[in-house]
Amino acid sequence: MRDNWSFVFAAYGLAALVLGGYWRRLNRRERELAALEHRRGAARAELRTRPSTPQR
Amino acid sequence: MKDPQRALGWLAAIGLAAGLVVAFGIAPREATQGNVQRIMYLHVPAILVAYLAFGVVLVASTTYLWRRAAGADRLAHASAEVGVIFTAINIATGSIWGKPTWGTWWTWDARLTSVSIMFVIYLAYLLLRAMLEDREQAARFAAVLGIVAALDIPLVHFSVYWWRTLHQPPTVLRPGSIPMDATFVAALTINLAAFALLYGYFVAKRVRLLKREQEVLA
Repeated sequence: MRDNWSFVFAAYGLAALVLGGYWRRLNRRERELAALEHRRGAARAELRTRPSTPQR
Repeated sequence: MKDPQRALGWLAAIGLAAGLVVAFGIAPREATQGNVQRIMYLHVPAILVAYLAFGVVLVASTTYLWRRAAGADRLAHASAEVGVIFTAINIATGSIWGKPTWGTWWTWDARLTSVSIMFVIYLAYLLLRAMLEDREQAARFAAVLGIVAALDIPLVHFSVYWWRTLHQPPTVLRPGSIPMDATFVAALTINLAAFALLYGYFVAKRVRLLKREQEVLA
């Protein structure tokens, strides 16, 4: 039987693409959450430091 | 090591590299199929790890319904997602392997059909989780589906015994010894271990992300 290397490389390439793509998706989500946490933390800190409006 | 998840990631990467070396450098060319048989080192570990992932979904879903532990729900969610990824790899590589050996990309054979049904069921599981806004309700419904869906795993595995199929009988999970030369078995075992480590890494990372998502978006 012929060796069909192109099929072997297609299978391994596709698997690498799927696994790599999933890994990248997880990392991107991690960065998004970190940015969101950072923004929320900064907003909370700003609220704490802002002088309160004088009461009339 | 400070971060066990990172250590698991490195172990998985080393395992995958070792798996490639063994699959392409050490395992011999198969006499009947030629080098295309090397797809086996990818195709078989992918489905075995998918079985593991869906088994974990079953256990975690049962635990969730019993104890209402949020951690068990997160584990079931993460494991189902990673299991779907490995099932997709199994179906795609099987199709690529089928063309040169069977002469077709796809056939409605019992094994191929049952594994596709399993893939669709777990996709539906993930869709269900994404569709329901009430987190408690989503967890409860998904847990029930996660338990029912596990019934398909033995159907997939034993389909080659119960029906006449084009697909060969199981090579690894079978009674008696494995009908392969020791070098092939070693290559398969190393790749299986690497995939299992990768599964562990992905699930650990996903569980951590789910927990963080719930905290941040609460």
